[in-house]
Amino acid sequence: MKFVAIVGTNADFSYNRILLHFMKKHFWRMADIEIAEIKDLPAFSKDVPFDQTTPVWKLKQQINAADGVIFATPEYDHAVPAALKSAMEWLSYKSAVLHGKPAMIVGVSYGRQASARAQQQMRKMLLSPDCNANLLSGNEVLIGNAAKVFSKDGRLIDQACVDNLEKCFTNFVEYAELFKNASRGEQLMSAKRPMIEDAYVNFPTGRLSLREIQAIFNTIPFEIDLIDATDRFAYYSDKPNREHIRNVNQLGETYSECHPPKAVPAVKAIIDSFKNGTKDVVARPLTMNGHRVLIRYYALRDVDGHYLGTIEFTGSVDDILNLAENGAWSADATSSASHGHAAPAPAAEPAPAMDATTGASEDSNDEPSTPSEPAAPVMSAATERAEQAESDANTGASEAADDPEETDADAMTGASEN
Amino acid sequence: MKIVGIPGSNANHSYNRMLLEYMSKAYEHDMTVVDVRNIPLFNESAKETPAAIKEMSDAIEAADAVVIACPETDHSVPSSLKSIIEWLSYQLHPFTNKPVLLVGASTDAQGSSRAQVDLRDVMISPGVNARVFQKEDFFMSFAQNLFDENGDITDPSTIKFLDKCLRDFECFAIANDEEVKMEEEALAKAEKEAAK
Repeated sequence: MKFVAIVGTNADFSYNRILLHFMKKHFWRMADIEIAEIKDLPAFSKDVPFDQTTPVWKLKQQINAADGVIFATPEYDHAVPAALKSAMEWLSYKSAVLHGKPAMIVGVSYGRQASARAQQQMRKMLLSPDCNANLLSGNEVLIGNAAKVFSKDGRLIDQACVDNLEKCFTNFVEYAELFKNASRGEQLMSAKRPMIEDAYVNFPTGRLSLREIQAIFNTIPFEIDLIDATDRFAYYSDKPNREHIRNVNQLGETYSECHPPKAVPAVKAIIDSFKNGTKDVVARPLTMNGHRVLIRYYALRDVDGHYLGTIEFTGSVDDILNLAENGAWSADATSSASHGHAAPAPAAEPAPAMDATTGASEDSNDEPSTPSEPAAPVMSAATERAEQAESDANTGASEAADDPEETDADAMTGASEN
Repeated sequence: MKIVGIPGSNANHSYNRMLLEYMSKAYEHDMTVVDVRNIPLFNESAKETPAAIKEMSDAIEAADAVVIACPETDHSVPSSLKSIIEWLSYQLHPFTNKPVLLVGASTDAQGSSRAQVDLRDVMISPGVNARVFQKEDFFMSFAQNLFDENGDITDPSTIKFLDKCLRDFECFAIANDEEVKMEEEALAKAEKEAAK
């Protein structure tokens, strides 16, 4: 179980913050609680420029990836503090991030009231149509006399308070589990084991089972993300150790929802150029997670050239660059020119395996017009497109570098935003 | 009567601000509508009250009454308005005993009624301690249909009810001054007795 716990104040010192940190430690066996602060969010206004809303985007991403949200609210003037209300407005204005999300409310105060009135308002807000959360009913965590019930080192030391908190939190975990099992994300994860395991797809060049297709996408040394023709994040390959960490809950988001606001104009420019046919590929080399990464965006088109979507192709190129730097290709050049076609393979790979790969690609390249292969013209068209892509890739990269308006590559991919 | 009007929305386009601006234009009261668009979010760790809040506080102190026009977000008071009230109930307390009229406009049928109920609670909480007029509820629904391009209210029944609200509120404000005076005298007397 993974929860986001939102500290409902922007103050430097807060017993509500202390409570959440206590819960994180106390319940570590039951749930992974990630504490989120709201002090970096801009004050809510419909007129805040979109590119200044990156902290809002980050918070929404955190919530999206969580199985539930815990709100800790203080009380100011018998009501929810403006800072928390502002966060709630960000989460509900033109956003469905809380829709159906399991939510729980806790609160601490210096006096005896324990933010009861603010909690009541939070309940009302979370149930309003714009938030529409799945709010845990009953289970009130009302902690008064904060200065007495917490120790100096931030532990809740009042046994009655601890008992009640444990009871309520356990109920919340059970409650959130109900939704987790029924959630769309869980259904989507069933794609890990395709329901129809014996289905085949007949390609012009051969037949693959669904399992094989999935295994191929998960094995190739690049990760693939697809934004479909309706501009929604439709698919990502389930490769281990991805550069971009994706979450099934992001599937279905529009590209402006799944990128940091400041990167959205650059993404839009790429996708627009693919849609109107001015470009087929854009490349962005960058350093990410401590190694050299190449990202390429390709326009996905059907055989008639109609736009099907944009694929983001991301992978570490350290292996390839190391091979090149160690003279892998200069050695090959003397032994056999045909090795120039070889797919990049780890240095330790034995030579026969490399030859086998090379052989296969040679066949298809050298005999594109074999009459018995109806797919051959398509293949050669695809090869041409790939070559075209290579040259465009360079153009794309240099354009990006020359254009000061372009958002930097890191922001674009979200790498630096994690 | 000298009135400060506080719009509850920081949005560039707000029917609640339009409502206050209409009131300041259409009635003979000396009414000033304050600009709330660039007020920082209240933070209790802030060392200094923002200058705009100090100005607003002085204006409220100097006024006979306050009118707050409150929109509704997520069934309650918007953060931009709540933030102003938090600033004005922390180091400064200009609302103490001040007559306050709550009004509100929305583009749906509710007319921000739920937010106004919450706002009343906030305004009468001990840290704020305002005197909220409660004889009438002014819930302006479907506000987008009620203003013309000059920001004037076009619907005669709305104008008629607004006239009544303001007239009754003025009477309430006058009576409130007397009441506050009497209460202060009684308090002073009680304290004197207690000290004996």
